[in-house]
Amino acid sequence: MKIGILSFAHLHAEAYIQNLRAIEGVELMGIADEDDERGKHYAAIFQTKLYDSYQELLDDGADGVIVCSENSKHRPLVELAAAHGVHVLCEKPLATTLEDAQAILDACTEAGIILMTAFPMRFSAPIVQFKQQLDNGMLGHVYCLNTTNQGRMPIHERSWFVDPILAGGGAVMDHTVHLADIMCWCLNSEVGEIYAQTNHILHADMVEVETGGLLMLTFENGVFASIDCSWNKPFNYPTWGGLTIELISERGLTIIDAFSQNLNQYRQDQPDHVWAYWGSDANQAMIEEFISAVREQRKPLVTGEDGYRALEITLAAYESAANNKPCQLKQRSV
Amino acid sequence: MRIGIAGTGFMGSTHAAAWSATEASIEGFVAKTTDLAAPIARQFGATVYSNYTEMLNDIDVIDICTPTYLHHEMVLEAAAAGKHIICEKPLARTVKQGQEMIAACNKAGVQLIVAHVVRFFPEYVLARHQVKSGEIGNPAVLRLTRGTFQPKKTEDNWFVDFEKSGGMMLDLMIHDLDYARWVAGEVETVYAKKISSEHAGAHGDHGLAILRHRSGAISHVEGSWAYPPPLFRTRFEIAGSNGWLQFDSANTAAIRLHHRNAGDENIPDVPLPSSPLNEDPYTTQIKAFYHSLLNNEPAPVSGTDGLASLQLALAAIESAENSRPVTIEELPEVSQEKGQ
Repeated sequence: MKIGILSFAHLHAEAYIQNLRAIEGVELMGIADEDDERGKHYAAIFQTKLYDSYQELLDDGADGVIVCSENSKHRPLVELAAAHGVHVLCEKPLATTLEDAQAILDACTEAGIILMTAFPMRFSAPIVQFKQQLDNGMLGHVYCLNTTNQGRMPIHERSWFVDPILAGGGAVMDHTVHLADIMCWCLNSEVGEIYAQTNHILHADMVEVETGGLLMLTFENGVFASIDCSWNKPFNYPTWGGLTIELISERGLTIIDAFSQNLNQYRQDQPDHVWAYWGSDANQAMIEEFISAVREQRKPLVTGEDGYRALEITLAAYESAANNKPCQLKQRSV
Repeated sequence: MRIGIAGTGFMGSTHAAAWSATEASIEGFVAKTTDLAAPIARQFGATVYSNYTEMLNDIDVIDICTPTYLHHEMVLEAAAAGKHIICEKPLARTVKQGQEMIAACNKAGVQLIVAHVVRFFPEYVLARHQVKSGEIGNPAVLRLTRGTFQPKKTEDNWFVDFEKSGGMMLDLMIHDLDYARWVAGEVETVYAKKISSEHAGAHGDHGLAILRHRSGAISHVEGSWAYPPPLFRTRFEIAGSNGWLQFDSANTAAIRLHHRNAGDENIPDVPLPSSPLNEDPYTTQIKAFYHSLLNNEPAPVSGTDGLASLQLALAAIESAENSRPVTIEELPEVSQEKGQ
């Protein structure tokens, strides 16, 4: 099976390319990037072929592609892949507007291709186990979740991550989709209402987008859940950030820290202490699911519709923050 | 300085122990019955009073450790008697009551100090100090959690009577609402959700609140009486423009016991947080109050502070009940105190 990567704008492409190589029977075709310099840079680092254009990669017998362009540039690449009948794994968020997200869904449906949204937390071993515990009744009736998906402000990873147009926003756009998706999946319920407060105090001098965000989601089944999506971790924090869930259910309190599986490492010759992660690789499991779905010609575990839904929740959070009142989610159009 | 303590439950006895570490003398105790007050009065060599009015005659300072719904009338009576007042948090059951209490104390020229003890816990004191001294820049996003089990009482469990206590948000979450205001300043809006998980039919034993401060800072406040006993966990994170502070009582416990045969008999009726310290925070608090009264200094935690926190907790309850954000109108008492 031939898989290529369209654009290396997103940091995650660096992980995905190695994930692809680790899967038996997958041929990493190479990459294509509209930014020549970036394309050359990563093709050299990862010792892979650089195609002259997206078109050329898609025409070269690609079975599937991973789209890792800037958030607002997912749509043209997914549409192009769809036009070539090539299956797509699209980086999150699916798009930055519902119009684009809808166009992405429509293009893939019309072309009859598989569209998967890259939500790696669906494949995080602690989250998967949590979902199993919920499903098998071990946790009892669910009442409330207090969740965080915090991180460092990502300007040093990629400068476009803080560009309001290319990224579609700041901390809220960056982090909300993961927990929104996980919770809809875990609770088997849709979000009915959302309330959000955002601010711009952290890194105010470096970026124009919001850096702090607190959201409250009310699900149709009555469960409520807060999300802290802030870019509140300092640059010298031991890792990029993290994802936590504290659940209040019939059985009491359940605490999940999805990125706690680390060694503490201190080096005499370095000022900051480091967390060395030994947990399972969620990205690897996610890429494997995409490959399996393509192989088996079936719906992937995470769909394009899931990406649309998470974006819808995220955009409703922005609306709430702008209006300073809860925002009702409209009837889903998909 | 002669101290009278009203209420001999957990807080009354905790305060009594704290007062005994000062130069003040504990003159007497009053409780619902003299039988309830007798043992503790004996322990501290103080008089048992059969009624509050009578005790007020013999003291300089009244320390009110009674259930919330009694604070209002007891403060009014003490003020009328010209006594300085220490009142357990929450200040009152309603904002109007709180305002009347402040007005009465101002009129009588007596001090009204509110026992928001979290302001004396060293981890909370230090975190605020770091913020105020600019260690982490301007506070931006605060996360405050206080979770434990619902207070038990063999009889007369006023904690679970919403009319008397205001429930979890007024009794417990108020600590962190007060702290959020103390660190990040006045609050503009409160949005909250609550549920009754463990205690069906109650007015909420678990809740989350999102505050927006006038400074632009935002706070996430979690309060819970839904944790299984004996768990008592407090946590905070303060993210500022130049850094991040984090505390979790689960990680800073200096002694952890994992013993065999540790059954329910080891679970206290009312959870009190504890970390080994040379001086417990309740004593630190009472000493601070004592010195402010002795030297005629401004109250370390004023009636207005108590009122503002009360307003936030009531707003959280209102928001949770109506599913709407509640705008906090700055009370004249608060504006006035800031103007001074």
